[in-house]
Amino acid sequence: MDMNEIKEIFFQECEEQLAELESGLLRLNDGDRDPETVNAVFRAVHSIKGGAGAFGLDDLVSFAHVFETTLDCVRSNRLEPNQDVLKVMLKSADVLADLTNAARDGGSVDEARSRQLIKELEALANGELPQPAVSEPAAKPAPPAAPVAAPAPAPVVNEEGFQPVVFSFDDFEASEPPAIEPSTFEILFRPKSELYAKGNDATLLLRDLSRLGEMSIHCDMDELPALGSMNPEAAYFAWKISLKTDKGEEAIRSVFEFAEWDCELDVALAGGDHTGTGEEPPMQPVPFDLSLLDDDVPASSGAAEDEEQVVAQREARDDAVSAAATASNVLQMAQTARASAESNRSAAPTSSAAQAAAQQAASAATPTIRVDLDRVDRLINLVGELVINQAMLSQSVIENDTNGTSSINMGLEELQQLTREIQDSVMAIRAQPVKPVFQRMSRIVREIADMTGKSVRLVTEGENTEVDKTVIDKLAEPLTHMIRNAVDHGLETPEKRVAAGKNPEGTVRLTAKHRSGRIVIELADDGAGINREKVRQKAIDNDLIAADANLSDEEIDNLIFHAGFSTADKISDISGRGVGMDVVKRSIQALGGRINISSKPGQGSVFTMSLPLTLAVLDGMVVTVANQTLVVPLTAIVETLQPEASAIHSFGASQRLISIRNSFCPLVDVGRILNFRAIQANPVDGVALLVESEGGGQRALMVDAIQGQRQVVIKSLEANYTHVPGIAAATILGDGRVALILDVDAIVAASRGQTLKPEMSLAAAG
Amino acid sequence: MKKRVLTVDDSRTIRNMLLVTLNNAGFETIQAEDGVEGLEVLETANPDVIVTDINMPRLDGFGFIEGVRRNDRYRAVPILVLTTESDAEKKNRARQAGATGWIVKPFDPTKLIDAIERVTA
Amino acid sequence: MASKNTAKKSLKLAPVLDLNEATALHERLLSLKGSPVAIDASAVERIGTLCAQVLMAGARSWEEDRVSFTFAKVSDAFVKTTQLIGVDIAPLMAKEI
Repeated sequence: MDMNEIKEIFFQECEEQLAELESGLLRLNDGDRDPETVNAVFRAVHSIKGGAGAFGLDDLVSFAHVFETTLDCVRSNRLEPNQDVLKVMLKSADVLADLTNAARDGGSVDEARSRQLIKELEALANGELPQPAVSEPAAKPAPPAAPVAAPAPAPVVNEEGFQPVVFSFDDFEASEPPAIEPSTFEILFRPKSELYAKGNDATLLLRDLSRLGEMSIHCDMDELPALGSMNPEAAYFAWKISLKTDKGEEAIRSVFEFAEWDCELDVALAGGDHTGTGEEPPMQPVPFDLSLLDDDVPASSGAAEDEEQVVAQREARDDAVSAAATASNVLQMAQTARASAESNRSAAPTSSAAQAAAQQAASAATPTIRVDLDRVDRLINLVGELVINQAMLSQSVIENDTNGTSSINMGLEELQQLTREIQDSVMAIRAQPVKPVFQRMSRIVREIADMTGKSVRLVTEGENTEVDKTVIDKLAEPLTHMIRNAVDHGLETPEKRVAAGKNPEGTVRLTAKHRSGRIVIELADDGAGINREKVRQKAIDNDLIAADANLSDEEIDNLIFHAGFSTADKISDISGRGVGMDVVKRSIQALGGRINISSKPGQGSVFTMSLPLTLAVLDGMVVTVANQTLVVPLTAIVETLQPEASAIHSFGASQRLISIRNSFCPLVDVGRILNFRAIQANPVDGVALLVESEGGGQRALMVDAIQGQRQVVIKSLEANYTHVPGIAAATILGDGRVALILDVDAIVAASRGQTLKPEMSLAAAG
Repeated sequence: MKKRVLTVDDSRTIRNMLLVTLNNAGFETIQAEDGVEGLEVLETANPDVIVTDINMPRLDGFGFIEGVRRNDRYRAVPILVLTTESDAEKKNRARQAGATGWIVKPFDPTKLIDAIERVTA
Repeated sequence: MASKNTAKKSLKLAPVLDLNEATALHERLLSLKGSPVAIDASAVERIGTLCAQVLMAGARSWEEDRVSFTFAKVSDAFVKTTQLIGVDIAPLMAKEI
């Protein structure tokens, strides 16, 4: 693992933390006052800051630091997280997300915005509430000049002295004064018992001290009591040390950095050339390099070298004592954990945290593993092969087993069932809750609400509804656009709402649920609903419909999905970015989904999307075209019909229209478009599939015959072969034949080149 | 013989950085994701030194340190607190819980190894 | 130094003489009180201050009792550390018969 990989992990983690941050803030916004919620929010920002610091992402660190400081005020109950405070924090969470993205992808961020939020956050931390609604009596009013005078956003240095420094080498080692004259220090060092209780030891400190220069030491044992009355874990020894070093007093003190509170320490420069006064106790010089010592020759001691080793002593039976500690350890640890949880509960600031921790522990009880997506995809692929193989096997058994009752046949049925179950289970691995996408939407709502001056509340339901990851990934864009649309066009301004007797705050409701093997996502607003008169007029102006066309309310509503259709009188900054609802519809269709709208004047609109749960299998209609087997996605087909000769109208050299209930629809011979045959087949001999094209118009696709409907496993052609125009993918049927899956949109687009222009055809159809 | 370090941190990023840094410096590294797990693996980890974060879910660094100090067998193990909290209050609480020393994040490898060397024999 | 004519006891020190070992060492020394003792520190890899304190308190106590208290064998680490912290064990190195 190298730093780049860790950085990648960091950004993944940031995403999780940002989601955690936002959902926590939203919970607080809903009145949740569980300390663990605040803690989780704090930890999220804290963790991002920690990682960002390690990678030198200064902008991210500075912002996270200010944010964290303010959150700490909430955590320590110095700041009440009311709606106004949370508004600032939610915006800050957005900026933090932007900064994270910028750090990863190198993009830029709205510096003015982050600067502004840093100011607001600091003001909050300084006890300045955004609005006079003071809920904190103790809040000290900060002098107006005090907070942030300088407009510059960057290096934030607060009272902690914290500075976003990468790999700061500013500790004593790195900042050693290069050349100080060697001088001699007198050091008095008297440890307290706590020093030992905390796993430190005077031996370690003296070792580090000895490395600074030439050291003489005297161990003061005056405090040492008699063996019988001593506490073996208490501190009795003290030291008087004389150290000649060129590293300075700072270096000496930093040796004791960790021990500072747990010892008495006195460091003083020795006067003149250090010659101890008469009363001084004798000093033992400690060699700079202790490794020079030999254990047989205790150098300075002058003791008897010819010491007689008492050999062959009986081995003391002393093993028992040191082993005593091991036995009851497991029990002890359990008790320790419980005890510390209890002590947590009684500790002041983290009071009910333990309780919340217990809940969290319970919810975190489902163990998870992280798996590379590639592995899952490979598994899905293999299961796809298995399904096909099983179908082929079944088919050939059926063909060879005329009576159909053999045990092989029964076994095969079980195999089929098992295969289905495996397939479902494997698909479930990729299934993920729509929650992250829904969470992203709350930010979009905040932004649009800010830009339009509207007051909006986003309510989400069913965010744990699961759907294939690929679907989730592709869902964000159309949803974003729809949400923008709902707030910008759907909801009225607060004044208009009040005038209409509504709550000035509009509500946008985003719901997900499963329905008959698909996921249904609903986006409802309680705005004014679709202005049908306006839509109708616009459609007439744009030649989408004839002026006298007789359309149902639903038909009028669905006109907004036509290309280039926008009801806003002037293109607004928000929804009108040259993208209309037609794009939304197209991307939903590209996912094998459908979308429609229902609207009630004065009460709002509901967009309903229905999407497949996975993009790995597809419900298709198996058809024959020029002796080839093709699969047409079922979602694209509106209806099938058997054309009557009288309904076919020729147009120009080779174009034909089919009249369906008083309207005309271009007829497209799939076999011709795909070059399966040189001349068009006779429509009367085949079947017409009425499909909806991306422009909202309809086409009748001519095929020779319908074989049936079935669920097929999608195999990418690009991965296995090459991209084929008009073909979306391939599948393998039960009889082993490869069947191509039609790309309906591409077929329709290709048909335009040789047929009427779609606008004209629509105008004619009206 | 390799020194054994137990690290306790809920951040995947920091865990990986610790792992790389410590392994490169020749330590044997055992990792836990929060205080509860830290106490659970204490026995099997049998560490010479512990490096722990403060802000963690389930059981924070303070609680974890207290837990270690109450454990008859491992109470003598030096514990370094690895945290971005550089203010005296946090240090103080960590010390009271029984921390041996601390490393202020963003840590650099030299500082981390140096601190470990300082509290181990 | 005259030693009493009791059988000399040997006390082998554990390799790691840390906080945890101090109490155990203390108890074992107390149990040997009155007998001449030869400490075997040959296996010591690490000795902390607390155990050094116990050993020195023992040495004093034995001296008061006029009983022999010696370090029969010492490891390199034992010598280095005691020297580092200014604890002079030279007078206690085994030298009598």
